Amino acid sequence: MVNEAGETDEEFRRLCDFLYRRTGMLFSDSKRYFVQRRIADRMAATGSSSFASYFSRLRSDVDGEIERFINAFTVNETYFYREDHQFRCLSNDLLTRRLNSKLPGAPIRIWSAPCATGEEPYSIAIWLLENWPQVDAYDVEIIGSDIDTAVLEAARAGQYGRRALMRLPAELVEKYFVQTGPESWRIIDELRESVRFTPVNLSVPGETKGHGVFDVIFCRNVLIYFDPASRRVAAENLFENLAPGGYLCLGHTESMSRISPLFEVRRYADAIVYQKPGGRADG
Amino acid sequence: MAEDARKRVLVVDDAGLVRLYYREALESAGYEVDEALNGLEALEKLLLAPADLVVVDVNMPQMDGFTFLKTLRRQAPPLCAIPALVISTEAGPQDLAAAQAAGANFYLVKPVRQAVLAEYVALMCGAGA
Amino acid sequence: MPLIRTTSSKPTEPPAPSRAGLTSGSSEERWTAARAAGGSAQNVAALGVALTQEQDPRVREAIFTSLALINTDESVEAVLPHLRSDDAQVRAAALDALRAMPERTAGHLPALFADADGDVRLLACELCRTLPLAEMHAMLGVLLANEHEANVCAAAVDVLADCGGEEILPALAQCARRFISDPFLTFSIKIASQRIASQRPDRGE
Repeated sequence: MVNEAGETDEEFRRLCDFLYRRTGMLFSDSKRYFVQRRIADRMAATGSSSFASYFSRLRSDVDGEIERFINAFTVNETYFYREDHQFRCLSNDLLTRRLNSKLPGAPIRIWSAPCATGEEPYSIAIWLLENWPQVDAYDVEIIGSDIDTAVLEAARAGQYGRRALMRLPAELVEKYFVQTGPESWRIIDELRESVRFTPVNLSVPGETKGHGVFDVIFCRNVLIYFDPASRRVAAENLFENLAPGGYLCLGHTESMSRISPLFEVRRYADAIVYQKPGGRADG
Repeated sequence: MAEDARKRVLVVDDAGLVRLYYREALESAGYEVDEALNGLEALEKLLLAPADLVVVDVNMPQMDGFTFLKTLRRQAPPLCAIPALVISTEAGPQDLAAAQAAGANFYLVKPVRQAVLAEYVALMCGAGA
Repeated sequence: MPLIRTTSSKPTEPPAPSRAGLTSGSSEERWTAARAAGGSAQNVAALGVALTQEQDPRVREAIFTSLALINTDESVEAVLPHLRSDDAQVRAAALDALRAMPERTAGHLPALFADADGDVRLLACELCRTLPLAEMHAMLGVLLANEHEANVCAAAVDVLADCGGEEILPALAQCARRFISDPFLTFSIKIASQRIASQRPDRGE
């Protein structure tokens, strides 16, 4: 059985294995065609005339090919409501369970790390306002953090182009943004005040402590870029910053299974998430 | 019509060649085969799509075979009831007992012939196609 | 006025680091101490001792991570004995930690390959993945010629199937002859040899 880039099923599996061992990226069957297309793209980009020679190049990380390959999955994909099935999981499953464990008056704390230019934390805020019936009944603290202070500035400014908004229905753009130019929109002030942005380096042990403990952490599409030692440190940081029973959401191709055994995996209708043990027993 | 009426077997072992060996054996017997490198990955895959049987090695990183089985048996149906064939290098009665206690249904000692594997799988969950 | 009700109260801090140290106090405290210890090579001895006593798997993970971060000859020595643990999770964690310290681990490989415990020799094969090709061939070639346990050979073959070069083909063939009655090993060697033989550099690349 020969695939998109001329590779056999076995060769394809070996490449997936290799990526999994190196980066922790895990491709489900439903992603198969998508992965094969990326392989074909990279073969063309690197002038590889056979799958075997491309795989050899990937394995030796020639010209940083591993990162280039990963980028093919994650680059330029920061936009509002990206992977919104996880937000659905947040409002349908995760928050309900977290509320069972919280003391009265304690805020719900959600962390988006890394947050890049802010699409993710603002998306969380918009999603909750639109989809979580109890949003007015609780204090919600949303924090966006990143290692790059320039993107944090951009996030605070809250200006976005058309592409970033492409998945938002028009009425949400209308409601939460002010158009500031032919191709630019700015998040309304009241929403910008709902999110706090802070600098952080996830791969330094203990550096995240000052952020306190969270109920839910979104850490999407960054762990795959770390080397194995830094990934473990980041996983430990995330573990430390979760409340007992709190939840961690990774990116759609990521799995904790290659990174760290600290968390327990949980399956809900809309997503697979990772949970820190403790708190009340979960279903 | 059912897209794929074949029985699904999840093969769990951290060595790619072992997974390939079992895959060959089971695909020729008509099974659909999926793979996982360790117990954690296996659990995630099963949570996304249950299998009819799981073949699991004992020694794996991140989550070894016995821990995986115990975790599997604590899940909600249908995961907790998935038949499990443990394959191990150890042949002692205490190893067998440990496997049983963890929730294994059958136990084979390496090296396993491909024909034997296919026979056991058929015994445990029915014919492939 | 924010759209989402926030609070200006201080966030709940994780428990403050205690003076308890690596081997006393609650698991939370030992966890914090283990993580903090990764900042200095002076802590290796203490981390090593803690590792031999620690029963909580999560705290153990943190200790291994700290040793890997420190990345000295001493930290490698502190991790090595745990390759022999009866606990599969500990062996796996030790392997992961050594994998994060490839240069310093390389020098220990000959001793690991000479170990009486087949499980240690098996894990040593895994550690060869990051070696330069010639060294990998040298070590695994010797193993293929002399190793008497089939599953250790199989581990070597698994590594070579992914990383090996043409020079190792004769050693693989010889190993297959030694274990002619082992169906899995002969299968593995056949596949590994096919893969190695099919790795051709691109013409015109």
